[in-house]
Amino acid sequence: MPLSATHAIPDVSIAKIDASQVKLDVQNLDFFYGKNRALKSVSIPFEANAVTALIGPSGCGKSTLLRTLNRMYALYPGQRATGKIMLDGEDILRPGVNLSMLRAKIGMVFQKPTPFPMSIYDNVAFGVRLYETLNKTDMSERVEESLRRAALWEEVKDKLQTSGLGLSGGQQQRLCVARCIAVKPEILLLDEPTSALDPISSAKLEETVTQLKQDYTIVIVTHNLGQAARISKYTGFMYLGELVEFGQTAEMFTKPVTTRGSDYITGRFG
Amino acid sequence: MAVSARLVATRRLSNLVFVAFCGVVTAIALTALALILYSLVTQGIGGMNLDIFTKSTPAAGTPGGLINAIVGSIMMSVVGMFIALLIGILAGTWLAEYAGESRFGAVVRFLNDVLLSAPSILIGLFVYEILVFPFKTFSGFAGGVALAMLAAPVITRTTEDVLKLQPIALRESGVALGSPVWHVIRNILWRGATSGILTGALLAFARISGETAPLLFTALNNQFFSWDMAHPMSSLPVVIFQDALTPYPDLNRLAWAGALLIAGSVLGVTIIARAFAKEPKR
Repeated sequence: MPLSATHAIPDVSIAKIDASQVKLDVQNLDFFYGKNRALKSVSIPFEANAVTALIGPSGCGKSTLLRTLNRMYALYPGQRATGKIMLDGEDILRPGVNLSMLRAKIGMVFQKPTPFPMSIYDNVAFGVRLYETLNKTDMSERVEESLRRAALWEEVKDKLQTSGLGLSGGQQQRLCVARCIAVKPEILLLDEPTSALDPISSAKLEETVTQLKQDYTIVIVTHNLGQAARISKYTGFMYLGELVEFGQTAEMFTKPVTTRGSDYITGRFG
Repeated sequence: MAVSARLVATRRLSNLVFVAFCGVVTAIALTALALILYSLVTQGIGGMNLDIFTKSTPAAGTPGGLINAIVGSIMMSVVGMFIALLIGILAGTWLAEYAGESRFGAVVRFLNDVLLSAPSILIGLFVYEILVFPFKTFSGFAGGVALAMLAAPVITRTTEDVLKLQPIALRESGVALGSPVWHVIRNILWRGATSGILTGALLAFARISGETAPLLFTALNNQFFSWDMAHPMSSLPVVIFQDALTPYPDLNRLAWAGALLIAGSVLGVTIIARAFAKEPKR
């Protein structure tokens, strides 16, 4: 074997994860906006109770990937996904999947805070009421627990009946996290959750995410490489609809394997 | 190239001219409004007395009031607004949330816009054909339907517009919780759009409250007090129309009082509705 071949730089590098640790497994996923192919045969495993960050330049498909994981795209005719996404041994892309039950398992927080036009309490209770009939005491407990886990309880406990729209941007985003975890999902999808927040609010939200990772499988899309490095265990680097590199964050940020990954992380493009 | 002081000065001048022009035009509009209100109040106050609210419309030279017209107007407006809100909110919601770019949606939207500017007398004739002629009698109910046909397009349009203003992320975050789309619309989007929909409803109410033409063909008029919507019914605009055209000063005064009542009730309803649907603070 010629020497150069052994040292060849791979074009694509996807690390393997022990199958027993994988919560959500994306296999050969293609995604189409009409005729436009936005994801090209993406395969990526998401480890249980760990944070996986998706990074890459704008338009690379990271948000698209995230939106297939809870089948958000199903809202829009003309958007479709092919391939497999295995959750607990079941393919969630299969027709006939109960989307409400799927989304009870997989929560999502968006780029911009989206409090509902109702009280803080009702915001958190909104999702719970879709799935459970709790009495007043149990519901209040659930609301408190969720707000505590989202690190918002201390700031809002005296004004639960006031509108969620009156909170600051950072508080609104943590309210969205609380609303999401109140349903008791297993997986959290975070779509650039701090990009609309100031640095202090961002830090608080990151802290919240760090505390949540023991209990949830978290997938976070971020433009902030520092954030990916701080909070994630795994990182996937995407480029033009392809997953170029996937592996442990610590390794990827110190010695990326692919040229494109290395160029992006060192700031040569992006 | 150096900064041209002349260019800057010219632009400042043109800006000044434009602002001044806007000010003058606004002043003209406000003056007209003030003059209308002034004559309305000064003339209307003279005709106001207790009889207005206790007696029915009189023949010339005899004492009387407007109670039959007031009650008729309220009943027909309530029926009209009820039908219009039901149709308008649902149609507007369909247009905003379900119709999308579809051809059918575009056609409905276009026809609604046509209806929005349809001459009200045509609406009156139409309702005459479908509800008066077949039943062989003018009726308050037909009047209410005619008013509904005038109000519904306004409500449809504003409902669609305000729903479209709701951020997409708000819809998606409801759906992301596992909520069905219809549930999201009912519990999140309508709530967020309440104040906008209310504005539409008020505009519609203001529009129908002064309409005369569609009522002439449908409710006709009634000199006597009546709760019966199956028969001809009096209304303020029609009474104003008739009394204002008579040569009798007492009937003219009554017409002015009726006009003041309409203006006052639109104002009153607006204030009350606004108070009930305060914008949540952002």
